[in-house]
Amino acid sequence: MAVATAPRADGRLEAILDQCRELAEDPDLPAVARWREQHPDGRVIGHFQVYFPEEIIHAAGMLPITVMGAGSRIDAKQADSHIGSFICSICRTSLELGLSGRLDALSGFFTLPICDVARNLAGIWGRNFPAQVSQILYLPQNATSRHAATYLRDEYQRLVGELEAIGGRPIADAALRQSIGVYNENRRLLRQLYQLKRESPWLVTSSEAYVLTRAGSVMPREEHNQILAEALAALAQRSGRRQDRVRVVFEGGFCEQPPLDMLGLLEEACYVVDDDLLIGMRWLTEDVVAGDDPLGALADAYLEHSTYSCVQHDDRKPKEAMLMARVDEAQAQAVILAAAKMCEPGLDEQVAYQKVCEARGIPHLLLEFEEKMTGLERLRMEVETFVESILFD
Amino acid sequence: MLVAGVDVGSTQTKAVVLDAQRRIVGRALVDTGANIDKAARSAFAAATADGGVAESAVSYVVGTGYGRYNVRFGHTQVTEISCHARGAQYLFPRTRTVLDIGGQDTKAIKVGPEGQVLDFSMNDKCAAGTGRFLGAGAFALDIPLSDLGPLALRATTPVKITTTCTVFAESEIINWLARGKKVEDVLMGVHQAIATRSLSLLRRVGVESEVTFTGGVTRNSAMVQILQELLQTPLNVSPEAHYMGAIGAALFGLEKAGEGPAGALEALAADPLAGPLDAMRRTIPACDTCSGVPAAAEPLATEVPA
Repeated sequence: MAVATAPRADGRLEAILDQCRELAEDPDLPAVARWREQHPDGRVIGHFQVYFPEEIIHAAGMLPITVMGAGSRIDAKQADSHIGSFICSICRTSLELGLSGRLDALSGFFTLPICDVARNLAGIWGRNFPAQVSQILYLPQNATSRHAATYLRDEYQRLVGELEAIGGRPIADAALRQSIGVYNENRRLLRQLYQLKRESPWLVTSSEAYVLTRAGSVMPREEHNQILAEALAALAQRSGRRQDRVRVVFEGGFCEQPPLDMLGLLEEACYVVDDDLLIGMRWLTEDVVAGDDPLGALADAYLEHSTYSCVQHDDRKPKEAMLMARVDEAQAQAVILAAAKMCEPGLDEQVAYQKVCEARGIPHLLLEFEEKMTGLERLRMEVETFVESILFD
Repeated sequence: MLVAGVDVGSTQTKAVVLDAQRRIVGRALVDTGANIDKAARSAFAAATADGGVAESAVSYVVGTGYGRYNVRFGHTQVTEISCHARGAQYLFPRTRTVLDIGGQDTKAIKVGPEGQVLDFSMNDKCAAGTGRFLGAGAFALDIPLSDLGPLALRATTPVKITTTCTVFAESEIINWLARGKKVEDVLMGVHQAIATRSLSLLRRVGVESEVTFTGGVTRNSAMVQILQELLQTPLNVSPEAHYMGAIGAALFGLEKAGEGPAGALEALAADPLAGPLDAMRRTIPACDTCSGVPAAAEPLATEVPA
C-alpha cells in the first residue's frame, strides 16, 4: 500500500500546525505558563472529559484547561503506585501530570461521573492536592426526566458557587453571555473544520485537524478562535488532490486520545472523514442561545444539543442510530470501532456498534489503543488489511 | 513473465518466484536478523538463484510481512493477512478459514470464495499462543525446535500450562519438571496451551470448513494433530505453508502486473490437468528450522519454465 503524502502546506499554515502540534504534545503545558505570565493573579481550572461547560470557568475570568492525560510523553512513575494497572491510561497520566508538578498552577479540578474511574479521580485528586478544590460535576442520569434541566441548572449553579469562592468575585450573567458567545464562535469554527474533513479530506489530514482542535484545550478560546480562523482560510487554499481511498469514520476517541502516530497511521491508509476525537471540546452540536438565563440555556443545551458518546445515556439518542447517522452524513464506507484499553464504557459499546454495522453491512474494524502505545506495526497491519479487504473485495 | 513475493517475518524472511502459470519457480528462506533490508534482498536473490532465473527477469515484486516496507526494491506492499488468505485459497481452493501461527503473532482469517479477507483476528495482548511460546518451551527444556513435535506426540498424561505470559510459562515448565513430570508430557501441555489460544481466535471469526493452517508452526506435527482434534476437522497443511505469505504476495504481484485475477479457479481453468499449485511444486528443500513435517503428498516432477 502506498504511503500517502500530506497535502502541501504554505509557510504560515505550517507554522500554525507546528505550534498546535507542540501544544498538543508538550506535557509541560507551555500555553498555560504563558497565560500565567500575562495574568499573574489569574486562576487556572482543570477539568476531565467529556461534557464540561467551560463557558462557566471562562465567565469567571479564569483559564479552563482539559486534563486529558499525556500519552507516552511522560511515564506514570508516581501515579502507578496510586492507581492499578487495570485502570485506563488517561487517568494514570492525568494524575501523573499533577504528581509531577505540571498542574501546580491549578486552583481547582473538576471531573464528571462518566465512569467509575473518572468519578473517583476527584477523590484521589483531593487527597493528593489539598490546595486545589476537587469536585465532581454530576450530570443527570435520566435525561428525559422533566426535572433534568432544573437539576443540571442547579449543578451548574453549584459550579458557579465553587468558582466564585475560588476567584473571590461573582460571575455575572453578562459575563456568561459573553463567554457563551466566544464558545459559540469556537464551535462554529470547529464545525467548519469537520465539514472540511468530510467534504475534502485530502485538504486536511486527520492528525492536522486533531492538533488544530486540541490546541484549544490549553489556551483561551479567543486565541483558539483566531488560530482556527487563520488555519481554515489557509486550508481552503491548499492544493491537495483527491485520491481513491476508503472513507472511514473513527469511533472511540471520546475520552482517552489515541497517540498522534496512530492517527498518522490511519491517514496513510484511508480518509478519516469523521470521528469522535476530542468531543469534550465540541460536544455541543449547535450554538447556545444565552437569553435571559444563560445557565439555564447551558443546561438545556446539554440535554437537547449534546453529541452522543459511550458515556452518555439518553433514550432519545440510541447510540447505534447516532453512529449510523454519523456514517451516513460523512458518506463513509467503513467504520473503525476503537476503544481505549481498560475503558469499560468504550469496550461495552463496541459490541452494540459492531452489531449495527453487521446489520447494515458496513465494513468495520475493532481496535484497541492506548494513549501511551508506541509499537504500532501490529495496528498498521490490521488497518491496512482492513482497507485491503474493502479495496480487493 | 515472472513475479515474486517477499515475506519479511519477525523471525524468517521468505521469498517465492512465480511464473505466469502460477507455478513456483524458486523459493528461499533466510533468517531476518537485525538488518531487515538485507534479509529481504538476500531472500529475493536466493529465490531467483534457486529458480535459476535472473533477478532482472522478475517484473513485479510484492513485499509482505511486518517488514514489508523494507522490501525497497519491490513495487508494492500487501499485508500478510491478505497474502495468507490469498495463498491459502490458491493452494486449497475450498479454504474458508485460515489459521496462521507465526513467530510472534497468530492470526485467524475468514476467507471468501475468491480468497478475499472477510474478517480476521489477531493475538493482541502478547505473544502467548504464538510460535514464540513454543520457542520458550524449547528453551526451557533445552530441546531443539525441530524435536518438539515428535517428542510431544509421545506424551501420555499431558500437564496443563495455565500461565498466559510467554516469559512466565518458562517458570511453569521448570516447576512441572521439578515435580517429576516427563518432558513429553510438559511439552504436550505447551502445545495444547497454544492450540487452545489459537482456537479462541478462530472462534472470533467463526470456523468454517475447510480450514487451512499456515505459518512456520505448521511444521510441528504435534500442533497439527492437536488442532485437528480440537477443531474436529482435518486441516489443510501444505509443505509450502511456510511460504504461504510469499506465495500470496506473488499472486497479488501477478494481478498487479496485469495478469488478471490470480485465484485458484483461474489457474485451474487455465490448465485443468495441472492440479493445484501444491501438486506442482518442486521438491521441498529440507527445513533448517525443524523436522517433523506433517505427511504430505510426494512432490511431482519439477515444472520449471524454460
